[in-house]
Amino acid sequence: MIRIEGLTILFESFKIMNLNIQIEEGGFHFLLGPTGSGKTLILESIMGLRKPKTGRIWIGDKEVQGLPPERRGISYVPQDLALFPHLTVKENILFGIRARDLDMKIYEEYVHALVEVMRINHLLERYPANLSGGEKKRVALLRALAPKPKLLLLDEPLSGLDPSIKVDIQHLLKNLHASFHPTTLCVTHDFEEVYFLGDEMTIFIDGKVEQVGKRDDVFWGPKSKKVAQFLGAKNLYRAKVLRNEKSLQRLILGVNGLQFSIPMGLYQDKMEIGREVDLFIRPEEVMIIREGKFVKDSLKENILKGEIIDITDKERSRTVYFQTMEGKILFEISIPNYAFRNLDLSTGKMVRIALREESLWVMV
Amino acid sequence: MEDHEEMSFRYTMIGAAVSIFIFYLGLILSLFYFVSGKGFLEALTHPYTLFSIRLSLTAATLATFFAVLIGLPSAYALSRFEFVGKRILDTFLEIPLIISPIALGASFLVFFNTPLGELIQTKGFFFVFEVPGIILAQFATIAGLATRLMKASLDEISPRYEAVARSLGSSPWQAFYRVTLPLSFRGLLGSVILSWAKAFGEFGATVTLAGAMPGKTETMPIAIFTALASANIDKAIVLILILLAFGLLTLYCVRLTGKRYRYD
Repeated sequence: MIRIEGLTILFESFKIMNLNIQIEEGGFHFLLGPTGSGKTLILESIMGLRKPKTGRIWIGDKEVQGLPPERRGISYVPQDLALFPHLTVKENILFGIRARDLDMKIYEEYVHALVEVMRINHLLERYPANLSGGEKKRVALLRALAPKPKLLLLDEPLSGLDPSIKVDIQHLLKNLHASFHPTTLCVTHDFEEVYFLGDEMTIFIDGKVEQVGKRDDVFWGPKSKKVAQFLGAKNLYRAKVLRNEKSLQRLILGVNGLQFSIPMGLYQDKMEIGREVDLFIRPEEVMIIREGKFVKDSLKENILKGEIIDITDKERSRTVYFQTMEGKILFEISIPNYAFRNLDLSTGKMVRIALREESLWVMV
Repeated sequence: MEDHEEMSFRYTMIGAAVSIFIFYLGLILSLFYFVSGKGFLEALTHPYTLFSIRLSLTAATLATFFAVLIGLPSAYALSRFEFVGKRILDTFLEIPLIISPIALGASFLVFFNTPLGELIQTKGFFFVFEVPGIILAQFATIAGLATRLMKASLDEISPRYEAVARSLGSSPWQAFYRVTLPLSFRGLLGSVILSWAKAFGEFGATVTLAGAMPGKTETMPIAIFTALASANIDKAIVLILILLAFGLLTLYCVRLTGKRYRYD
């Protein structure tokens, strides 16, 4: 288990306060934050290259805070990879084993297995300058894993790659983690990477931890407007608690004169009348009701009528911009292309939308 | 029309570069106007000439060695670390460039007349009007320059390489000599050669501190000065040509040495 407790870093304009992270052995933890939020500073502090103002770091039972980087057992893959250009791929890979004076015989089989998984047998005698972007990523990952680190730090591992190579490296990282289980802390600003690779994540915005949790819990249940916005939330509204229908166990929220009904459930104690909250629904969770089609009971509570004001194309989906007749609230709706073709939608058309109540997320 | 403008722009720029070349080449070629075969050979084989060549080579090499010995770690510190007084230190590196070499030499003469300077001379080495004085004067002239040039070479190498080397188990020293040093080798070697060339041609500080005694402290630039002062044109030209040959050779080496890595 890796434990980072109370890490506070003050450097130039960066202020990172009281960061706590726990990673189970063999876990893949993401530290997700906007670009320029000081994520690299955090990695450098964990690695021992930068002295934090306060904070303690444990690797297993051993506290490593105060140890130099070379004695922490942490490998680091920076964003620019920093493959040693004067060494061949093979020499790069063996650098850590040689620097730590480890017995090559013990590591030979393991390194060979890594080379196989990473598919770089044919590159071993080349110099980094003669590798493609994807090949460089693979070599850098392998170099970091070769000395069997207790913690692997990855700084934006998929940045700067062509989309097709990015997918390839994503799959490789996943296979690598499934095969060798390195305890990994990965910083990124890209939620897509987290969605593909991560188990757990820490959302880090403006120098503070905003939310920690399982990938899906964070994605579907952001705890604050900041997190929701960072995760790309589109339909985010300021709402007011209008009524508390205790007999039906429902809360009625108002936005611009429109009413939304949500189950009381989790919010029971927090929702006094008049309280202002943030209401959020993902674009892919908004349903357009086809004319004459039966509407399920679970959808009947939140049906809104309005007009389609624009439709834009994306690679695999369409984005429909819908404005309610009452209150003029704008919804962004994402529809897969195959579904869009059956809906017969066009700009200016009047339609009804339904909001699944379990998809309406309230941030107190 | 645009083509014409582009061509005239191109030729103006290249013309300026060629005129500098012609200017220096003309200067060098003019030396041969006064060369007479017999006098030239005599001057070349004269013991004092050979001595001044030997002395110049030795003193410049030693001065460069000491300048690198102190300059490389200083350059590394200035390139990689933040510390109190860094900017002041950085500014002081340019002292030899802003004060004239004679002023630098005169400062040493004054220093060696202070109690500390006298103590160094009586208990350690004699510098004033002695060979160590030549090395000291040349060292003072090039140490700042060598540090500045080496810092520029180290600045080119991303500290990220060392960071990765450290995380892979290298101590700071190992990261330096296994990664930073080989990566910056070409630039560092260029800095060393340039510093050596500067020391080799140094005159003002050397003559002020070590004097101009033939067969004792007379380096090549000093020998050129004394040859001119005594109207020995042959000797002056021989020495100028040798100085030029060494200088051009070393500078050409800067452009040849090493292999440039493509950095990520």
